[in-house]
Amino acid sequence: METSFDSDLIGEIFKRIWRRRAAERERNEVTEAPDTEVGVGTPKKSRPTLANAKALKLSSELLRLFVTEAVQRAAMIADAEGASTIEATHLERILPQLLLDF
Amino acid sequence: MASSSSTPLHIVDQDNDEFDWEAAVREIDVACAQTTTSSTNYCANNGSNHVINGKIPTYTSSNPRIQETHKKSVPNQSNFAYFASSSRQLTLDRFIGIVPRNSNGHQREKHCNGFLKNKNNNFNSNCQINVGNSGEGQKGQAEDEEENVGFVKIDPEAAKTWIYPVNIPLRDYQLNITRTALFSNTLVALPTGLGKTLIAAVVMYNYFRWFPEGKIVFAAPSRPLVLQQIEACHNVVGIPQEWTIDLTGQTSPTRRADHWRSKRVFFVTPQVLEKDIYSGSCLVKHLVCLVVDEAHRATGNYSYCVAVRELMAVPVQLRVLALTATPGSKQQTIQHVIDNLQISRLEYRSESDPDVIPYVHDRKIELIEVAMGNDAVEINNLILEVIRPYVARLSAIGVLKNRDCQTLSPCDLLNSRDKFREAPPENLPHIKYGEVEGYFGVLITLYHIRKLLSSHGIKPAFEMLAEKLQQGSFARFMSRNEVLLKAKLLMQQSISHGAPSPKLSKLLEVLVDHFKMKDPLESRVIIFSNFRGSVRDIMNALKDIGEFVKATEFVGQTSGKALKGQSQKVQQAVLQKFRAGGYNVIVATSIGEEGLDIMEVDLVICFDANISPLRMIQRMGRTGRKHEGRVVVLACEGSELKGYMRKQANSKAIKKHMRNGGANSFQFHSSPRMIPHVFKPEVQFVELSIEQFVPRVKKVNDDDQPIQSPAYKAKLTDAENDLLSKYFSTTRENTWKPSLIAFPHFQAFPSRVHKVLHSFRTGILIDAMQCLQGLPFSTCSTAVKVEDSASPEPCSASEALVQCNGKIKETSTSGDFPIEDCIREVSLASLEPKEDLRTREDSYALGSQGSQCKNLVHSFLFSSGLISVDDLGTVQVLSVSQFPVKEVLLSKIMTTGRAAPFYHLKQNIACIDASTDVCEERVGNAKDDSMSQIRSSQDDKDCAFKLNSCNASGEKTLGEIILETPIPKPMSDGGESINNSPEDRAPMLFAAEANDDPMDVEFSPRLTNFMESGIVPESPISSSGMPEIQRDDIMVPDLVSTPMVHAQSVVKYLGQNEINVTSSLTNDISAKQMKNSTPASKFRTPTVDECRSPFIKSPDIGFSKDWQLNPGGNSHGVKQRRKFKRLRKHGDLCRVKPQDCKEQTSGPTRNFTSSSVGADDGQNHHHRGAKFISNRAKLFVEDEAEVSLEVMVSSDEEDEQEDNSYEDSFIDDRINPTAKSTQAEESGIDMMAVYRRSLLSQSPLVGVANFSEDFTPSSDVPRNERASTSGSESHLVQKPENGLESTARNSASLHFNLDRVSSDALLSRITTSPKEQKSKMENRKRKLFCKSGFLPVHNLEKEFFIGSVASGHDSMLHEQTDKIQENSKTFLDNDITENRNIFDDDQFYNAIDLDAIEEQAAKLIGFKTDYSKQNQVPIAEPVPVNPSLLGSPSFDLGI
Repeated sequence: METSFDSDLIGEIFKRIWRRRAAERERNEVTEAPDTEVGVGTPKKSRPTLANAKALKLSSELLRLFVTEAVQRAAMIADAEGASTIEATHLERILPQLLLDF
Repeated sequence: MASSSSTPLHIVDQDNDEFDWEAAVREIDVACAQTTTSSTNYCANNGSNHVINGKIPTYTSSNPRIQETHKKSVPNQSNFAYFASSSRQLTLDRFIGIVPRNSNGHQREKHCNGFLKNKNNNFNSNCQINVGNSGEGQKGQAEDEEENVGFVKIDPEAAKTWIYPVNIPLRDYQLNITRTALFSNTLVALPTGLGKTLIAAVVMYNYFRWFPEGKIVFAAPSRPLVLQQIEACHNVVGIPQEWTIDLTGQTSPTRRADHWRSKRVFFVTPQVLEKDIYSGSCLVKHLVCLVVDEAHRATGNYSYCVAVRELMAVPVQLRVLALTATPGSKQQTIQHVIDNLQISRLEYRSESDPDVIPYVHDRKIELIEVAMGNDAVEINNLILEVIRPYVARLSAIGVLKNRDCQTLSPCDLLNSRDKFREAPPENLPHIKYGEVEGYFGVLITLYHIRKLLSSHGIKPAFEMLAEKLQQGSFARFMSRNEVLLKAKLLMQQSISHGAPSPKLSKLLEVLVDHFKMKDPLESRVIIFSNFRGSVRDIMNALKDIGEFVKATEFVGQTSGKALKGQSQKVQQAVLQKFRAGGYNVIVATSIGEEGLDIMEVDLVICFDANISPLRMIQRMGRTGRKHEGRVVVLACEGSELKGYMRKQANSKAIKKHMRNGGANSFQFHSSPRMIPHVFKPEVQFVELSIEQFVPRVKKVNDDDQPIQSPAYKAKLTDAENDLLSKYFSTTRENTWKPSLIAFPHFQAFPSRVHKVLHSFRTGILIDAMQCLQGLPFSTCSTAVKVEDSASPEPCSASEALVQCNGKIKETSTSGDFPIEDCIREVSLASLEPKEDLRTREDSYALGSQGSQCKNLVHSFLFSSGLISVDDLGTVQVLSVSQFPVKEVLLSKIMTTGRAAPFYHLKQNIACIDASTDVCEERVGNAKDDSMSQIRSSQDDKDCAFKLNSCNASGEKTLGEIILETPIPKPMSDGGESINNSPEDRAPMLFAAEANDDPMDVEFSPRLTNFMESGIVPESPISSSGMPEIQRDDIMVPDLVSTPMVHAQSVVKYLGQNEINVTSSLTNDISAKQMKNSTPASKFRTPTVDECRSPFIKSPDIGFSKDWQLNPGGNSHGVKQRRKFKRLRKHGDLCRVKPQDCKEQTSGPTRNFTSSSVGADDGQNHHHRGAKFISNRAKLFVEDEAEVSLEVMVSSDEEDEQEDNSYEDSFIDDRINPTAKSTQAEESGIDMMAVYRRSLLSQSPLVGVANFSEDFTPSSDVPRNERASTSGSESHLVQKPENGLESTARNSASLHFNLDRVSSDALLSRITTSPKEQKSKMENRKRKLFCKSGFLPVHNLEKEFFIGSVASGHDSMLHEQTDKIQENSKTFLDNDITENRNIFDDDQFYNAIDLDAIEEQAAKLIGFKTDYSKQNQVPIAEPVPVNPSLLGSPSFDLGI
């Protein structure tokens, strides 16, 4: 297999997103139901989301495929337009279908 | 104090030779000198201390060091006398070397005594305790020494020098003060703006150097000041930022504890310092330096005092540096500060000092006296009237000394009250106390109101009064006081009057004058008011002053009752905006006075004058820092002015005290020399390199981004950084996000993929987008509409379709138009692979529906037409509605539908052909169109041509599919069939190959979609066929497709003839077969190419359905063949595009004609077919094509078109019944081969008519195939769509012609007896399977053979005559076709067609090889055709 993304990096990115999500969730919960029993929810909230090594590896590969495909498709568009560099506009053209393909 | 250091030290002291006796002596001397002076003063002042001092001398003998520590640690003044005396003794003892042990305890006692006395006078108990401890004094001098130096190691190298930065121009007074401050605790009293912070920073920096592990604390009284000072200090000496930290109340205690451990330089608020010292998180033992900013606050129990007291209690040795601009307004308060901070030196500079003067900017202070307003005076008098009796009463009691109520101030009253509380007059009964207290309270309030009235105006005074009257004791006393109520009323009137207070108007006057002289954009003004209420008044007044004044308020945090305060954030924002110029006037309360480095201000206006001189100095300090400034003090006549003058006088008196370092006025405390005397640091002037200060607060807020970004940015090129900054700005809100809706038109077509294929959902999206963007059904012709109407009702539609067909037939022109439309649509679809696929799908779906009913098939055809209905040139996608139908029917429907579309295409083509001239022209146009050039030029015709081309492309796809199918055929088919098949295959292959390239590319996504959607199940068949087939296999599929085409053609004929129910039946059968074949082809296609695969899949599905439908294996076989035929047809159509379409149309027409002839008039059909063929041939010849022939054909074509449409429907039906996937494929393949063989062999042998019929369709198919091949060629050359084939146009045309001819021949044969043909077909097909209904298949095969033969002939002709056109024209086939067309088809067929075709086929094979060898594109195309024809052998080989 080709070298994929660094799974540590992917893991960090995931964690960052999870953390943010958790924070948002907490905020929402606090605003929504500040009076609810805190004792029940706290242990779950405080537990960080984790991913094991294999899952991360798989995720890395999937992301790599995704990125490669995105770049290649955008490159085709760019090529068809005669552009030498892939611009965001090229990506936007293939993005909807790309997202559905994955 | 708690530590036990004192007693043991003696012993160790003695023993320890390392002790720096000299230093000790020196220190002692200094201490003695200080204490003597201070003690005298002190003793005189403080009686209570005398007692202690008196005791102290009795306890003599102690270690001088201990004394020092005591001195340091004990804040109480009372110690001084004692220390003074004892220290002398100690020095003596030192020199003598005698250290009485007992003295330790005593000393300790004293020490404790002194310390404790500060607090509780709890003397004895502590003494005892200390005595108890005094015995164990073994720790010795080492510890003492250690203590002396602190707990922190000294860097001996660094200690040799002390550094003074010269980044900033050197100022002597700063250098001198710094030198002092380094070695003793110093109180620096410098006017504002003279660089106190620099002194502090230098001292801190040197301690930072000297004590590598020491911790340095800078305390400033407010958070903004802390943040300001940390930056200022950094900019002076550049202490590395990793060692500095600001700790304020905003930092959580746990984090503070971490920072206390990890950092070395702390900028703190005194509250934090106090708390952390209490909690222990502050590592006090490591403190070496404490800088106290705004030290004048260190009075009472302010945190400064508490913190220092605690530090001294530890004890810890540290350097204290106190900074202030205004040490105090009274000598006493200054002394308090000195005591509280353990100051030993006072460094005072006034603005008039010679060493300071050069750095002081001129600051003009103006005192403006403002007369009180008449109203105010009146009110003031009223209030005085109220006050007078109370004052008189109090003074009568003797509580109030001053009888002049005019000059009393609230402060005086407070003092008097305190005195009264402490020592009430003895003659006053206790009952009266409350009354007196009440009087005091009332008076204080009244005087306060009076003060407000004079200094701030009526309004604040009124508000105060109103508030006080609401409740409390004041209300009790005053609520019925008429005089006061009168005053209140007067105030109210005055306020409602709106007359501004004289002060306020004066202020505005000053302000306007100022901004007249200075640029409002550059100049800054601060207005100070002591009272928040008046700030609001001033703000309100400033609102009206004009544009040039942009004023804001700047008030403290604590919100009063009515007026909200400003949070620190708001304060910071205000300052920020003030600096930036957003405001040019700030109206501030006392918060703006101190320390805050509000940028250079030109004008300071003091709205109230009667404030402490200290605050006045601070206020004035806001200006005149960097250039000249101006201070305006607004003072009201009377009490305020008097108060101001008095306070100014006071401050001048203070200055006298401060002279000479205050040595004559203040008592100082000894302080430790932090650096041992062995080190004699020398000043070293260094230019420090200071890094850019990075505000930590921002760091925290921005999540470290500003720091991190440079890190990764450094690794990127500029271009990359530009790109990043283009889409990702640092602020998160502006981050670019890709739009999913930016290019909706791109979503109507599958994008090209790299490795990941499109998903089913993408297909749905594409379909949806196409629907949304779907071109309107603009019905060019009524027929189309009819078709539309038919399409919605599948079952009923059949009749409608028939009717429509009839209509079409009736109105050839109208029919032609619809057909053209359909064709156009199809062509358009074909042109746009995606669209084509969709259209095909739609048509398939329709076909599937139609599969159940022949009529339905027609309807489907119509529906497809509807879907694809396009205006002249515009390429339109099939209607979405059809897609859902397709989806529903999916597998079966797909196959049938596909067949149906193909049929439709063919029909359309036929229709086009039917419109003889038009068709011919169209064909030519179509070629041109295929070129994509003609589209615009010729409207309907062009469109039709385009459609044809599209159809051709679709045929190509079909051909591809067919190509795949062929393999199964060869596998199953016998020799004859094989023979036939090879021919068929060959063309098919050609077509397929040609088609494959374009088709694959174009169709791939759709195919994949199909695959995913459910076509996949069929894939196995394809897979089965695939391994063997591949391209050779593909050839077979082509053959199959040809049969399909034939079947379609037959169906068309039948449809045209409508009357022929049998034909319809046969058509149905053929349709089923076609379906089967199509699926097979589909299957094959997937194997061959992904693009093909989808098609294949769909056909496979159809096959599977067909299979299911077909009970018998024979049927399967037939179906397979039919499928193949369909596939071939599709492929042919697709490949041939215009030519193929023409050929196909001709083929179908022929077939139809044949079938129709069989049923009704074979001749007509034949003629038609012949005509078509000829037309097609001409068309193929196109450019050179003969119009006459085309015309001839056109007439026939019209019929043929009708027939074709019918046939297509029929074929679809047939296909459905035949459907058996795998078996069908294999059987189909076998069948195909058998058919081919049979065709080859049988066609001549067996009833020629039958064969001919069969062949005719087959020939048609082959023609189609050939056409497809040629079409591919034509595509290459003529039809740009096919591109690849374009080169071969000529050859293709020739082939087409040949095919047409053959088809015509076949048709003619068929015309003899379509039924026979059918039977023949069935026989052929079912020779193995024995089903008469499959005749069309036979026909197809025959057609293939014929086609192959024709192609062979064509190829031969081509070979013979390089000029394709000529060849086409000259070609016997063409001639034959023409002849046939002209003559009776039967005759033609009977004449030689089959045999000739066979022969031709054989020749063709050879020719093909030759052609293939030949480089000429047209030839090459024929060559492939030939190989395909030869392909029968090749198939055999494959088999």
